Amino acid sequence: MAVTYEDATSKTELRSNQVIAFLRKNASIVLIYGIIILIAGAAAVFSDTFRTPSNMANILRQSIILGLLAIGQSLVILTGGMDISIDMIARVVALSIATLFAFFESDPAFIFPLILLGIIIGIIIGGINGLLITRTHANPFIITFGVAFILRGVNLAISTTPIRGVPKEFLTIYNTKIGIVAVNVIVMAFVWFLVWLFTTRTELGRAIYAVGGSPRIARLSAISVNRTLVWVYVLSGFFAAIAGLFVLSRMGVGDPGTAEGMTFQSIVAVAVGGISLYGGRGSIIGTLGGVLLLTILTNVFNLLQVNIYYQQLLLGLVVLIAVAAYRSPRTVRSG
Amino acid sequence: MKTTTSRSNWLGARFSGFRPTPRFVHAVDLAGQWAAPIMICIVLILAAVFAPAFYNPTNLRTVGIQFAVLGIVAVGQTLVLLVRSIDLSVSAVLALGAVIVVQTEAGNSIIVSLIQALAIAAAIGLINGILITKRGVPPFVATFGMLVFIQGARLAYSKGQASGTVPDLLRTISIEPVGFIPAALIVWLIVNIIFIFILKYTRFGRWIYAVGGNPFSSRYAGINVDWVMIAAHTICSVLAILGGLLLSGYIGYVDLRLGADYNMNSIAAAIVGGTTFTGGRGNLFGTAAGVALLVLLLNLVVVLGLSINWQLAMQGLVLVLAVSLQGFRQFLLSR
Repeated sequence: MAVTYEDATSKTELRSNQVIAFLRKNASIVLIYGIIILIAGAAAVFSDTFRTPSNMANILRQSIILGLLAIGQSLVILTGGMDISIDMIARVVALSIATLFAFFESDPAFIFPLILLGIIIGIIIGGINGLLITRTHANPFIITFGVAFILRGVNLAISTTPIRGVPKEFLTIYNTKIGIVAVNVIVMAFVWFLVWLFTTRTELGRAIYAVGGSPRIARLSAISVNRTLVWVYVLSGFFAAIAGLFVLSRMGVGDPGTAEGMTFQSIVAVAVGGISLYGGRGSIIGTLGGVLLLTILTNVFNLLQVNIYYQQLLLGLVVLIAVAAYRSPRTVRSG
Repeated sequence: MKTTTSRSNWLGARFSGFRPTPRFVHAVDLAGQWAAPIMICIVLILAAVFAPAFYNPTNLRTVGIQFAVLGIVAVGQTLVLLVRSIDLSVSAVLALGAVIVVQTEAGNSIIVSLIQALAIAAAIGLINGILITKRGVPPFVATFGMLVFIQGARLAYSKGQASGTVPDLLRTISIEPVGFIPAALIVWLIVNIIFIFILKYTRFGRWIYAVGGNPFSSRYAGINVDWVMIAAHTICSVLAILGGLLLSGYIGYVDLRLGADYNMNSIAAAIVGGTTFTGGRGNLFGTAAGVALLVLLLNLVVVLGLSINWQLAMQGLVLVLAVSLQGFRQFLLSR
């Protein structure tokens, strides 16, 4: 009798220990989703517009561009690097594809080949980033910073005014809806799921974590560090290119201001989502939380009609607090 | 600091199949050290052939002032790079100083607002340094967050309006000719003499090289590593604001885009001049040469009548090439 009683307590203890261990292990993810629920709940109570289903669906759709960029940024940051050029990759893709649409006189037959071409452009630029970083052993941050500047020049050379001539059929990527939810939101949810599978279940995904944790040990475990790094920057360019195409489909014109400031937002989303900026730790689920948080905050700011200049100030303040509250795991471990 | 030390191991481990000859290593080292002076000579000769208008006295005076402003900012950036850190907030600090001085001119005396500007810059540098050393935030992230915060603060303070005329005192110390050279160059010369002296002949200068060379052994040698890094960041911010004052004196009015590309240019100038990202290597003569090369190239774009996007592409290209060369050189030397 006494034995069964003891068993029962140890079992419940075990369960609560497991819960605590789970919470501790995923503290940052639990925290970010807690904050999202808190902010969204407060906004829903105070604002009639916020809680309408169409606004909710809209938030999800608005989160796609930042989401695509943040996925690529997460992969790069997980390896301990950083990609500053993604907003310019998105812009160069949007502008060049818009120019080509105009050149082909908005012929809908060219939509598929041009989407493919846009993605190839992104992959090539990402590959250049990756090769420069791995072959010259230079700092990823500065290399991509420089590449971003070159691309900025290229973008100015392509156009400084909006480019017309995108065929109507191309806009269906952004517009098509099933009921109230846009199709692209459903596709994006699937993309997040695939990326999560990729980072947790595939060889390359595990290699990304290993390289970020310790390149030396990764190499000793027969992981090709260089190849992993090049892959990561290629993927980052790939997602940036899709983001650029999505912006093009949203605006309907090739906008020379495409994705302005999105690099910084993507880094914030990744950092707030709990991925260590030293690499090797964190989860893509946290990034999803960071993206949703930033999109909801922007939406709330707009609904409350906060002055744009104060928005910038608040964003900077959020970043500084997040940065100051942040502590690298390695510093903690070594005291 | 902890990541940078593991980075050198990482580099060695990543490319161990590669066996360069000593002569090749020596050649790359020399190329890294002398890249800037050699390129300056080539550019000057090319300028004489293709753009004689470059040697026009008015143009030379403009080049001189631009050289002085970037030179002063780059001195600070070099100090920060020497201690294995980086400062991405210089452009925001530079613009902030100009805004403060111009807007407080109405009520206060010029001296009060100058002191105000310098104090705010010092505080910003101090916060940067504390975030990096005491909180263990990666320098890129800490100063990048600071950049966004200061930009937001400046916009909130000035309400997004470009306004104000520059006090006469600033115009005097910036463009008034002394003999045949503009006063800004004299300011640059004074700053450089002070910091070359500090780096070469004072204990603090030796500490900076020691901390950049190896933070761990300098800690064992009794150097207060955190304090040296904080001091370097503070000096960098103060020099950035000094550059901002000279720049606003030269331009004569303050607009919102003021100084936006000084981050990029100051880092590029220091790197072109032989300072490495991994700290402890580099000097102010090299930085001055890097500044000269960059200003010459940017000015030639204008003199040749090319469009502005070439300037951006040029900046990016110089940065990427310089970083690649220096990264490769550092990799070879650290083997």
